[in-house]
Amino acid sequence: MPEFRAGDELETIDKDIDQGRIMKWAELSGDFNRLHVDPEFAGRTRFGGTIAHGPMSLAFLNELMTRVFGLAWASAGRLIEVRFRAPVRPGERVTVGGRVRSVREEGGRRVAECEVFVRKPDGEEAVTGLAEAPLEGGGS
Amino acid sequence: MTVEDRPELVFADLGQGRTFRPFEMRVTGDLAAAYMDTVGDRNPLYFDAGAAGPGGPIAPPGLAAIYARSSYLQDHAMPSGGVLAKQEFEFLAPVRVGDTLRVQARVFESYLDDKGRRRVHFLIEAENQDGRPVTTIRLYAIWPK
Repeated sequence: MPEFRAGDELETIDKDIDQGRIMKWAELSGDFNRLHVDPEFAGRTRFGGTIAHGPMSLAFLNELMTRVFGLAWASAGRLIEVRFRAPVRPGERVTVGGRVRSVREEGGRRVAECEVFVRKPDGEEAVTGLAEAPLEGGGS
Repeated sequence: MTVEDRPELVFADLGQGRTFRPFEMRVTGDLAAAYMDTVGDRNPLYFDAGAAGPGGPIAPPGLAAIYARSSYLQDHAMPSGGVLAKQEFEFLAPVRVGDTLRVQARVFESYLDDKGRRRVHFLIEAENQDGRPVTTIRLYAIWPK
């Protein structure tokens, strides 16, 4: 695993959101809330159209952290204070990324605390959170 | 009982301390593949035994969002209009493809906030077939009715 220091940027991932991907998430999760899957219904709500499921953004953040921190993330990572701030809509390309805020010692190992985000094309943050990843090790 | 037959899970059902029956989920290769396809996350840790080490391929950690939701909706439908306000995951051990998870949800806290919104905080714990805790999830929602 590479060295990490406060201020380091995590390599970003771009994700294209379309209604097809939203439908696939509905199938996978069993969440067929009409706000996500029914454009006509969703068009009559305050959102004015369908929006992606919030947990899909959590999947993107997990993808980012697993890519950067590998097995250590799946073994002892923590994704905390994740807040859903703005809806992600079909047709948008979102950027998933983060920045190392600090590296600290905890329980005899080094842990990187990262600010992570899912950002909309206009720069608005759709989801923000903190992710803590051990810098060594990986569970059995 | 089909999904359509399930009663809605309403706020009145979500008293503090309510514990839902355990939800069992087998993490199959097909499930991992469906997840990878949907999310577009093709990390070799999920399918390459060489990359994942002696325990074999791991399940995508983001699957936790899916089994978390299923753990309190086995017998109910989710009413429309809820808002997922916040969610937290703590991974305690990797989930491997082939594992069978036992996931249990508990209402940690439920209350009306000062604006009269129905707040529900679930604590959801998952363990593998060996009884080893693998994930702890906290989910904070504003319930619609």
